[in-house]
Amino acid sequence: MTPEQLALRDAVRSLLAKHSDIRAAIETPHGYDKDVWARLCDIGVLPIPERYGGSGAGLAETRLALEELGRTLTPSPLLASTIAAKALLSLDDEQSGRLLRRIADGAIATLAWPWDGAEISAVNDHLDGVQRYVLDGDLAEILLVSDGVHLYEVDPDQPGVSRDHTPTMDQTRRLATLHLTNAAATRLGPWSPRIRDVALACLSAEQVGAAARALELTVEYTKTRVQFGKPIGSFQALKHRMADMHVLVETARSAALAVTDEVSAAVAKVYCSEAFFKVAAEMVQLHGGIAITWEHDAHLYLKRAHGSGQLFGSPAVHLERLRAKI
Amino acid sequence: MDLSLDAQTVEFQAEVRSWLAAHVRPLSSMNTAAGFEEHRSWERLLASERLSVVSWPSSYGGREASLLHWLVFEEEYHASGAPGRVSQNGIFLLAPTLFAHGTDEQRARILPSMARGDEVWAQAWSEPEAGSDLASLRSTAVWCDGGWLLRGQKTWSSRAAFADRAFGLFRTGPGERHRGLTYLLFDLRSEGVTVRPIDQLDGEPGFAEIFLDDVFVPDRDVVGEVGDGWRVAMSTAGNERGLTLRSPGRFTAAASRLVELYRKNPDPALRDRVVDAWIGAQAYRLHTFGALASPLSGPAASVTKVFWSELDVALHETALDLLGEVAPGWRDGWLFSLSGPIYAGTNEIQRNVIAERLLGLPR
Repeated sequence: MTPEQLALRDAVRSLLAKHSDIRAAIETPHGYDKDVWARLCDIGVLPIPERYGGSGAGLAETRLALEELGRTLTPSPLLASTIAAKALLSLDDEQSGRLLRRIADGAIATLAWPWDGAEISAVNDHLDGVQRYVLDGDLAEILLVSDGVHLYEVDPDQPGVSRDHTPTMDQTRRLATLHLTNAAATRLGPWSPRIRDVALACLSAEQVGAAARALELTVEYTKTRVQFGKPIGSFQALKHRMADMHVLVETARSAALAVTDEVSAAVAKVYCSEAFFKVAAEMVQLHGGIAITWEHDAHLYLKRAHGSGQLFGSPAVHLERLRAKI
Repeated sequence: MDLSLDAQTVEFQAEVRSWLAAHVRPLSSMNTAAGFEEHRSWERLLASERLSVVSWPSSYGGREASLLHWLVFEEEYHASGAPGRVSQNGIFLLAPTLFAHGTDEQRARILPSMARGDEVWAQAWSEPEAGSDLASLRSTAVWCDGGWLLRGQKTWSSRAAFADRAFGLFRTGPGERHRGLTYLLFDLRSEGVTVRPIDQLDGEPGFAEIFLDDVFVPDRDVVGEVGDGWRVAMSTAGNERGLTLRSPGRFTAAASRLVELYRKNPDPALRDRVVDAWIGAQAYRLHTFGALASPLSGPAASVTKVFWSELDVALHETALDLLGEVAPGWRDGWLFSLSGPIYAGTNEIQRNVIAERLLGLPR
């Protein structure tokens, strides 16, 4: 990490420590804390070049911020807006630049692309179809849609567009179902499959942050919980399970950091999803009864692990893709 | 993280690849007398191209290669199907200790002949009553005129059946357990040494017991300070557990072979395990390449040890399940993989190290 990256990470971490209250955030109508989002934008975590009014941060910096948001499970439009911004940057022209400027100013953006096999059909720049699990899909002011061939901008406030908030097991992630019925669209340019790899890289960074924090919380708990007159973390049966969690977190971090192409992105998606799920499941077991309560955060990590494993395609889907590649 | 290679590295990679393609040929098992000598000749051939110890200083036979070049060398080496390294104990375990704690005289005397395979080293750590609990070892070194007399018994000494020399820890006192130990080098053909080979599960003597009965060792073969042996040995224990002993090239090569095997023997029920093992090898590779930026050492090496040893078992078990029988080409690797979670500190010990030293859990 460069000194600048370290400073950015520390800034995000201390912001979240002071201001992130996920229990309060998920009770708000939009499911996230607008003040925290504004402060994140001020720190400059979106990967938008200065020529479009952004901070000039790169994807590496955004991934650090996503890792921090993953640690605290803070609901945030950063993931959706980052993926939308990277899709626009793949075009990098006047039209996309106009949208990038709005994102840099804090407008929430999202990209709906058919990662779950849904079919969006385009006829004469009008779109039809249903896309499920669109990140911040009901909140986004800027709605990008791909049919797998082109990238379109769709005005979300037209009659041909309906968006339904879709509550899932993971309350810390805002998802919506997007219905397009002869919706007028502006064709921005060709769709780059590379955007999927960017999305997987971003998601895996978030997963690694969450998994690392789940382990830290477990270690802290077992150091303080006393049974048989000793902290339970001194018992080898528990130590070895936490050691295995550590091995998973560190190797997942390496896989997440190493994404450069289609294969490494799929590896990261599979590996980080499975690692996070195992770590979160162990978090529950090692906490014992307290983790079975609503009050304790362990279930939030477990549900995020499940949800993020399914987002953008389950590990099984990406394994199938990898099988074709290797 | 960018894993693309610069021009100089690509050139080095090409040189290694073409040299190996021209020279690699199958050898007999290194755990037979004849095969051992074939492997020694192979080490000499490697050394003649300065390829036996690429990361070492040139004065000792190396090329001063960076960690990146070493990783690239290892990938090419394993992908080519080149023979196992009979010099492994010396170049990956003793040599780092000499670089850190030896004298110039020791390095000049020992390293060049190690690099050429002229002297092959065995390790002599474990004893019948000191395995995972190495600090309970009992073999002694008693001071005498001009040196030391070794007495006791070592066991599970890899390569000792045919090797020339060995390195190990001996109790010189005062103090108990970790205190009062000294790191010593000795000649396996000295008077008073009896080597009794032990057959491994493949039927060949890959390790041996060593009985020591007043074996003389001159003062110049003490590594580090007398009484400081535990620190000397442990400061480089990470080399055995970490990536030097088991470079990712070994596993990516095995994973590629596994994928090939699947193509020839497709069994849909095993597809996920094949891909999982392949992903594991890739993850390990990425993890070690990550070490280029921040070196893995000390307790972090325990993380890699647990990972690679259990990955190796998974790779081989998946191959066996695909084949439905123990087939040539995988059987020996499988049997060898079973020792991975045991040697260099059992994985249970590694998990203690991770829990106590990395996670800070109480003892």
